[in-house]
Amino acid sequence: MKQIVRSQGFGAIIGVVVVLVVFSLIDFSGWWTAQTITNVTQFTAILSFVAMGQALVIMTKEIDLSVGSVYGLAGVAFITLEPSFGVPGSLVIALVMAAFVGLLQALTVVKGHLPSMIVTLGGLFAVRGIIYVWTGGSVHNFSADARIHPVTRLFGGELFGVEAAIFWLVVVAAVLGIVLRATPFGNRLLATGGNRESAESRGVRTDRVKIWAFVLCSLLAGFAGILTLCNQPQTHVTLGENMELEAISAAVIGGCLLTGGRGSIIGAVLGALIVVSFRYELIALGAPSSWYITFVGVVLIVAVIFNQKLARFLGHSV
Amino acid sequence: MENSNPLIQVKNLDLHFGAFHALKNVSVDFHAGEMIGLVGDNGAGKTTLIRVLCGIYAPTSGEVFFDGNKVQKFHPKLAIDQGIETIQQSVGLCDNLSIARNFYLGREPVKRVLGIPFLDMGKMREKSTRVIRQFGLRANVSADDEVERLSGGERQSVKIGRAVEFKNRVVIMDEPTNHLSVREREHVNELAVQLKEQGLLVIYITHDIFQVHKLADRIVIMENGEKVADATTDSMTAEELEEVIRQGGRVVEKREAV
Repeated sequence: MKQIVRSQGFGAIIGVVVVLVVFSLIDFSGWWTAQTITNVTQFTAILSFVAMGQALVIMTKEIDLSVGSVYGLAGVAFITLEPSFGVPGSLVIALVMAAFVGLLQALTVVKGHLPSMIVTLGGLFAVRGIIYVWTGGSVHNFSADARIHPVTRLFGGELFGVEAAIFWLVVVAAVLGIVLRATPFGNRLLATGGNRESAESRGVRTDRVKIWAFVLCSLLAGFAGILTLCNQPQTHVTLGENMELEAISAAVIGGCLLTGGRGSIIGAVLGALIVVSFRYELIALGAPSSWYITFVGVVLIVAVIFNQKLARFLGHSV
Repeated sequence: MENSNPLIQVKNLDLHFGAFHALKNVSVDFHAGEMIGLVGDNGAGKTTLIRVLCGIYAPTSGEVFFDGNKVQKFHPKLAIDQGIETIQQSVGLCDNLSIARNFYLGREPVKRVLGIPFLDMGKMREKSTRVIRQFGLRANVSADDEVERLSGGERQSVKIGRAVEFKNRVVIMDEPTNHLSVREREHVNELAVQLKEQGLLVIYITHDIFQVHKLADRIVIMENGEKVADATTDSMTAEELEEVIRQGGRVVEKREAV
């Protein structure tokens, strides 16, 4: 129990419980329906992938603002390249492109000693611009054959009776959680964010750690794009717009501190659940959809205050 | 000791940071089993010299020999692999990690399952627990506690314990007793002497010539990036050495007692 309380995701666990209780109280019949649960978990799974990657980057004391664009780019690449390379081929190319964008930004940050906020802000615009140029603003669809391709079904349909996105989320979150807590790489990643100079003095190659974090982040964002399009194979140029803000919010609500070195994978997933629940429930309650972003802002600030109080209560210096 | 080959030999070392000449033609030998007091004012080049030895800075010109071999590449990782450990006041421990995780940071023991390296937490806990007991941490501190809970002296103890545990050959202590209580300072100094007695080379950097004179075998004084004095502690008293520092490196003739 002490372990759970001290873990970084504890604030998010409380947050999820509060959200579920409040939504049950105000809209029990609307909230606990199969339709709602399916939608919320599907969107949560997608956002979680982006948020988990973001969490890894934030834990190294950097930030990646380009994830929404990378998510869009991977999705667009996946759909538009499918006629030439087939489903598996375009999937691999889309992921490689995402990873490449991450690598390029990481090298600029690390080798150029530049703030990641600026570099990835540039990445956000540059990649979004590429999407506009590439698609010409037009909508692309999968052919009927591609929709029933086994690879598309593997990432888009249902697996073992659950949404494929949920299945993959459980697998990937478990792997990332273990990597973060139980491998030398995870130890070094947390050390890099906690105190880069100390990590460096112990022989940790913090540059490499950061590069890996950025590449993983972009890869996860790209994978989220592919999962989305396997489920609904249609692109539009705004795919993934503002997603970086939701992902950062999810990671921060889930207990990631922007000061680095603290955060958790499970927290990012729970943070994503909170963000998506708000979006869904506000719309379900008939609030104008434009209110949603205001609420996310309020929830974000409340969550940060709460997480900070919680961390101080547990004796961390933040 | 003078006959044996030096463990670290620095020859004509120069280091420029742009227009700033940080180290000027520094040559010095360090032997195993010796404790060196490296003394000088702020900005004298003590820490810069040490940062070359532990691989953070590469010299502009000059040579460094370690155990008779010329050092070709400078990187902290390489220095650590050679067994050079630096203990600094503010650097070396990550507050957000547990003692056990800090202890093995950068060279974590692993258990391979299907070829995947997993942290061997059992071993990490067991060894670091033994060391923190041996080095006098409070009984209620466990290896799973995050370092941010430790006091300044306990942090130093963890770092020194780690240096001993990894069978290092050189331990560089950069102002190890700053901000420590009197008891903690004595404890750290005792540990430093123990390291030397185990045959390690200990380089002890400080402002406090009187403190280090009691501990060290030899004192090296730096001033403005130059080595200005290098004397065994039995050949010069602390007062004489202090005078050298005060005069900015000029060795003053001792006035005859009236």
